[in-house]
Amino acid sequence: MTTKQQNQVEKIHLETTVAVIGGGYTGMAAAKTLAQNGYPVILARQENDGAWHDTSLTGLDGLKTLENQVADNGPIDILSQSTLIEAVGVPGDFTLTFMSEDRRVEKKAGAVVVATDLSSSPLTFIYGLTPCASVVSLSELESLLASETGQKEIGDKKKTIAFLVGFAHEGNPLLMQRVLESVRKIVEMDGCTAYVYVNNLKVAEDGLERLYKQGRDNGAIYFKLQTAPTVIQNNGDLRITFYDPVIRNNIELSPDIVVVEESLVADQQNISLAEILRIDLGPAGFLQKENVHRLPVNTNREGIFVVGGGREIQGLSKSLADVDNMLLQVRQLIGGGEKTVAAKAVVDREKCTICLTCYRCCPHAAIYWDDKAVISPAACQGCGICASECPMDAIQLTDFTDTEMTSRIREAAAAETKAAAPKIIAFCCQNSAFEAGTAAGLFHYDLPAGLQIIKIPCAGKVDINYILNALVEGADGVIVMACHTGNCKSESGNTYAKWRINDAYRKLEQIGIPKNRLEFATLASNMASDFARIVIDMEKRISQK
Amino acid sequence: METKNVLVIGGGIAGMTTAFELAEAGLNVHLVEKSGFLGGHAIQYTCKATAECLQCGACSVEKMLKNVIESGNITIHLSTEVETIERSGGYALTLKKSAAYIDPAKCTNCGVCYEKYKGTGIIAQGYSKNNFPLYAICPEKLNNDAAALKSVCPEGAISISDAPSFCQISVDAVIIASGFAPFDARRKGTYGYSRFPNVVNGLDLERIKRQYGYLARPSDGQPAKKIAFIQCVGSRDEQLGNLWCSQVCCPYALRTAASVKHKNPDLDLTVFYMDIQNTGKSFPVFYETCKDNIRFIRSIPVDIFPIENDCLNIRLFDESEGTPAMESFDLVVLSTGIMPNPDNQKLSEQMAASLDTDGFFKHADGLDRTATAAEGVFIAGTAQGPKTIAASMVQAGQAASGVLKYLGVTK
Ligand SMILES: Cc1cc2nc3c(=O)[nH]c(=O)nc-3n(C[C@H](O)[C@H](O)[C@H](O)COP(=O)(O)OP(=O)(O)OC[C@H]3O[C@@H](n4cnc5c(N)ncnc54)[C@H](O)[C@@H]3O)c2cc1C
Ligand code: SF4
Ligand code: SF4
Ligand code: SF4
Repeated sequence: MTTKQQNQVEKIHLETTVAVIGGGYTGMAAAKTLAQNGYPVILARQENDGAWHDTSLTGLDGLKTLENQVADNGPIDILSQSTLIEAVGVPGDFTLTFMSEDRRVEKKAGAVVVATDLSSSPLTFIYGLTPCASVVSLSELESLLASETGQKEIGDKKKTIAFLVGFAHEGNPLLMQRVLESVRKIVEMDGCTAYVYVNNLKVAEDGLERLYKQGRDNGAIYFKLQTAPTVIQNNGDLRITFYDPVIRNNIELSPDIVVVEESLVADQQNISLAEILRIDLGPAGFLQKENVHRLPVNTNREGIFVVGGGREIQGLSKSLADVDNMLLQVRQLIGGGEKTVAAKAVVDREKCTICLTCYRCCPHAAIYWDDKAVISPAACQGCGICASECPMDAIQLTDFTDTEMTSRIREAAAAETKAAAPKIIAFCCQNSAFEAGTAAGLFHYDLPAGLQIIKIPCAGKVDINYILNALVEGADGVIVMACHTGNCKSESGNTYAKWRINDAYRKLEQIGIPKNRLEFATLASNMASDFARIVIDMEKRISQK
Repeated sequence: METKNVLVIGGGIAGMTTAFELAEAGLNVHLVEKSGFLGGHAIQYTCKATAECLQCGACSVEKMLKNVIESGNITIHLSTEVETIERSGGYALTLKKSAAYIDPAKCTNCGVCYEKYKGTGIIAQGYSKNNFPLYAICPEKLNNDAAALKSVCPEGAISISDAPSFCQISVDAVIIASGFAPFDARRKGTYGYSRFPNVVNGLDLERIKRQYGYLARPSDGQPAKKIAFIQCVGSRDEQLGNLWCSQVCCPYALRTAASVKHKNPDLDLTVFYMDIQNTGKSFPVFYETCKDNIRFIRSIPVDIFPIENDCLNIRLFDESEGTPAMESFDLVVLSTGIMPNPDNQKLSEQMAASLDTDGFFKHADGLDRTATAAEGVFIAGTAQGPKTIAASMVQAGQAASGVLKYLGVTK
């Protein structure tokens, strides 16, 4: 470490209170775990939290029991009927504003845990059916099977029950498990029959294939179809028909009850929570992108975590695994409330004109401002996007200063090579291409004799100046290597790099340097052979001239 | 408080993640790995990106390996197994290190041994640049040439003795992360795996992609043009008694198919399946694009036989047509799944942690799949049952959390 960097090591204080948003099973479990470990908790709940949750392991009373435990827990401050409306600050020092029972409430927290639930609704309408005593949703069937009167109603009348699954939406193992459980219960009742019309059986979860077989062994019949069968509902009468190509005929059934699948989707709230907390919204309304650079409960922002149904369709046991993982991360971040951190990026207060470019472009929301821009050392990931975007050149990374980078480029361009070999400078992201490039060397792949690799923290740190400098200093070719779209640790570093390359192309055109001397490529850390191929191809191309 | 010691058995993604999390929490970790390399099965997988990352997770294994070797609190024991274990407050263990190994203190990764023994299988090369040493001795391939092998290394790093060496350690808790065994496709005799060169399994597929960068036919190294994937090979198979879905073979087959098709749109790809399992949050969208580019046939083929030019005929019963059918392909990929590690039996006896009917480690608590009935013994990853890399990592984090709680570090 240089002395300069040592100077930027500082001790910071972090608020130990953790805010948990969402008071369903997972949220309450998170609150309880945090409180037990000495972290005061703010639990923001809404009226219908926990309305849908996986009861397969706790039974119907599980939620109530946990609710009582949480209510009796001193360090848990429950804010009922609360909606988050504003969040400012950085890890260790967030200020959250809630509307709680029509009052504005402001709270301080060191970390935030989002624990929204999944929500479920019947899909009867997609099949064109009208709910009635003989057309029921999966939940309704489950309550029937759980009650004595319901069991009698089905069992004594030796009912035939048909299930429709996987035609209204793709489905998932969590729903499949509920179907398979219900089927098992029905076929265990003397004289009852279950027919399941299903698209893809989603059995990718412990125990489901066995459960499926158990049902079939007890007489359940499965029809696997690509499209939904025709279902005709005539008052109480039901008829299900589909064409069977094997027997070349229609197969028709008149069940007593049709059970229709349900949806299981992300909480609507996620959209506004993502916006307020400045975290990425992922596919299908779930929180955080599926970025493999992060542990599953982490988000693009340090100090904001997502657990359970807020991030993925998952049942209770996996949601609780998230809670345990979250505790590890909160301990690492907040510990006992004090921490020594080294600044990865610093703002030159003389140069900063608070244009707030950096505030807007930081993918980790690590920047706030007093009278100048300030970077939170606890939140900054050192990607350098801000440093490259800042119009005043007011930001420097401690490990990759512009001065160091410039001399590194000069050295690379001046390095001795075999006379005829073209000089190629590759700017490689340390998370992907740099790893692949070092591996390519170690595994003795053929590489250009004039290749020079320059490590960068993220492709988003490649200034247009770096590229032009490299060419001016004597490189025959420059290549910028970033992570694949969707695999950038800083989410948008590769996009910024791409924009800058396009800018550079325009500049090259102006000065009359051929376009093929600059290239952009994406790679993953495990792509050593592709790395070799890309740089060799470039060498060939510039050698041809 | 004095620093606690923990033993992690198995250096795959699950073991590495648990070890790293515990090391970050300030514990001393002994990571015991039977083979010569950390990383487990998943370190050999290739990137499956198309124009964008498809979240296969392979590169996160690279990253975790880097974390582990850079961590100061993890002692890595390669080519090592647990010989004996005794309860004594914590656990007292004897570790057995293979008689033949490469000494990391002396090896410079020059690769001389590997080059010299290329083709013999005696020296294996790791898959990651972060495997150190990058080379390992395969004891089962070793014959009488021990002396010759020893003298090949200019640094004197190759150590071969007559007997394994033993060392004693004591720990406060144990995590079993011994992983899985891939299904042996030879057991599905009618598919001709190992008899027909162009019938490959899931792991071969990764190796081929790594070596060539495209799907080459093992028979001649030429790019395959018409490729079949057969799903559920060894999994969901009543005849074999394997009543579980391996959970990863639909995702890896679909992602590989999408990625090779992206690189070469002329490829003709067919997936034979029973049911397609989800790949992640973006599955519904991803599946639709797959359907546009890949032919899906809902039928598991009956058998495969070779025709001219090392091509293969697949015979099946086409359920959508209701008739028998036959079609030829250049390359057939058997999507082999996750089976229990045969070592589980011995580990289970050593640790007094029981196995389930399928041979995976049984969890004692439905809500916490890392807990065993044995005190201070936890499970993580595919040792407990089939799962993806990401799911293995979550479970590994949970196991680490369980250990901290057991040791009183957390509550
Ligand atoms: C063909 C194939 C393709 C796949 N593709 C993907 C994919 O693209 N994406 C994905 O998410 N998942 C994929 N998977 C699943 C993935 O391989 C697993 O999720 C992952 O490897 C599980 O990690 P693990 O640590 O539990 O086990 P392993 O990877 O099996 O690691 C276990 C480690 O323990 C060691 N070990 C075993 N026994 C002992 C012992 N007795 N003592 C000491 N050490 C021992 C082993 O040598 C090994 O290093 C795929 C699986 C297969 C079969
Ligand atoms: S270096 Fe990256 S993470 Fe740090 S403040 Fe700048 S943009 Fe944000
Ligand atoms: S496709 Fe897989 S290996 Fe490639 S970048 Fe994405 S997660 Fe990493
Ligand atoms: S994941 Fe797909 S191929 Fe693998 S066992 Fe399950 S259904 Fe079969």
